[in-house]
Amino acid sequence: MPHSTSAPRLGDLERVVMERLWEAGHTDGATVREVFEILERDREIAYTTVMTVLDRLAKKELVTRVREGRAWRYFPADSREALTAQTMRRTLDDMEVTDRRAALLHFFDGASSEEIADIKAVLAEVEAKAEERASSPRGLRGRLRR
Amino acid sequence: MLPLVLAGLAVALVWVAPGLLARQPRFRRAPRAALLAWQAVSLGGVLAALFVAPAALPLFAGADDLRQHPALVVVAACVSAALIVRVLVSGHRVGTRIRAARARHREIVDIVAEHDRDGLRVLQHPTATAYCIPGRSSRVVLSQGVLDTLPEEQLAAVVAHEKAHLRARHDLLLEFFTVLHESVPSALRSHRALTEVRLLVEALADRAAVRRSGEVATARALVAIAQSRYPDEAMGAGTSAPVRMQLLALGPHPRLAATAYAIAAVAFAAPLALLVAAWS
Repeated sequence: MPHSTSAPRLGDLERVVMERLWEAGHTDGATVREVFEILERDREIAYTTVMTVLDRLAKKELVTRVREGRAWRYFPADSREALTAQTMRRTLDDMEVTDRRAALLHFFDGASSEEIADIKAVLAEVEAKAEERASSPRGLRGRLRR
Repeated sequence: MLPLVLAGLAVALVWVAPGLLARQPRFRRAPRAALLAWQAVSLGGVLAALFVAPAALPLFAGADDLRQHPALVVVAACVSAALIVRVLVSGHRVGTRIRAARARHREIVDIVAEHDRDGLRVLQHPTATAYCIPGRSSRVVLSQGVLDTLPEEQLAAVVAHEKAHLRARHDLLLEFFTVLHESVPSALRSHRALTEVRLLVEALADRAAVRRSGEVATARALVAIAQSRYPDEAMGAGTSAPVRMQLLALGPHPRLAATAYAIAAVAFAAPLALLVAAWS
C-alpha cells in the first residue's frame, strides 16, 4: 500500500525540510534547489519530492514564499521557538474549552492557588499513608482495618 | 401509560440521574465501574426516548393488527428516526471538529517537537506539561520543562497515565459524552455528566500511573507540575487535580464497583423492559 508508507514519510520530510529552513534563517530562506542539495547529501531524494513537501508546508502556512526568477524562495513563517510557544499555548488555553478537553488529554488541567495549596496538603497525607504501610507489619494492621 | 413512563424515564436518565450520580463522589473510587454506569445511564436515556413512540403504538392501534394502521407506524418511525438523526448529526459535528483540531495540532507537533527514542514527542519549552493527542495516529507529548522538573519515577507515572488514555481510547468515551451532551435539548443539558466523566477518566488513568510508579510518585508528579505552573484562578473549581489527589490518598474501593454495575444494568435494562411490557 503505497499510501500508508508514503504518508508518514512525507510527515518526516516536512520536519527535516523545516529544520533546514530554520537553519537557513528567516532573512535568507532557501530555494527548492538549495534545500534539495543539502538533503541529497545524506539521503536518496527526488527534487520533485522536496518541491511537494515545501508546497505542503506553504499550504499549512508554516512557510512563506517569494518569487525569485522562475523559482520560489521559501522562508520559515515563524522561528522554531515561536512555533513551539504557539503550540504550547494552544494546548493550554487557545482552543475552545470543550474542544480542547476532548481533543487533547492533559495530565494536569490547571488549578487555582487555593487548589494548589489543597493538593499539597493531600500529598502529605499520601506520603504518610505510604510510610505507615511500609513500617507496619505486613498485612496484619491492614487486615484488621478492613 | 407506559409511553408516558418511558418519556419520564428518558427525562430522569438524561436530566435527573446525572445530578444524582455526580452527588455520589464515592463512586470515583471505582472509576471503571462508575464510567460504565454513566454510559449505561446515558444510553438508557437515549433508548427510553427512542422507545416512546413505538411503545405508544399498541395504545392507538388497540387490539388491531398493526398492519391495518400503516400511518401510525410511519408516524412512530418518523419520531424515533428524528431522534436518531439528531444524535447522528451532533456526532458528526463534534467528531469532525475534534478530529480537525487534533490533526492540525499533531502536524505541528510532529514538525516542531523532537522525537524521543520511545516514540514520545518533546517540545522545547520550559513550561511543564504532558498530554496526549488521541486518535488513530496518537502521540504522547512532553515538554522539556516536565522532563527537567520530574525525577524518573514520576515521569514514568505521567507517561503511564497518558498511555493509559490512549490504550483504553478514553477519547472515544469523552467524544460519546460530548455528542450526547450536544444532542440533548439545551434546557435538559447537564454539565455534570461531562465534568464527572472527564474526572473519572483521569482517575482511571491515574490508576495506571499508580500501577507503574505507586501512589506517592504519582501524587508528587501532580503536585510538582501544578507548582511549576502559574495558578489559574479562572479555572475555579472545575479542575480535576484536587479530587485526583484525594483519590490517591483514599485508594480504590472495589466493593463500590458492584453497586455501580448494578446501576448500569438497571439503567440499561429498564427502557427495554418497558418497551417489551408495552408490546405484550
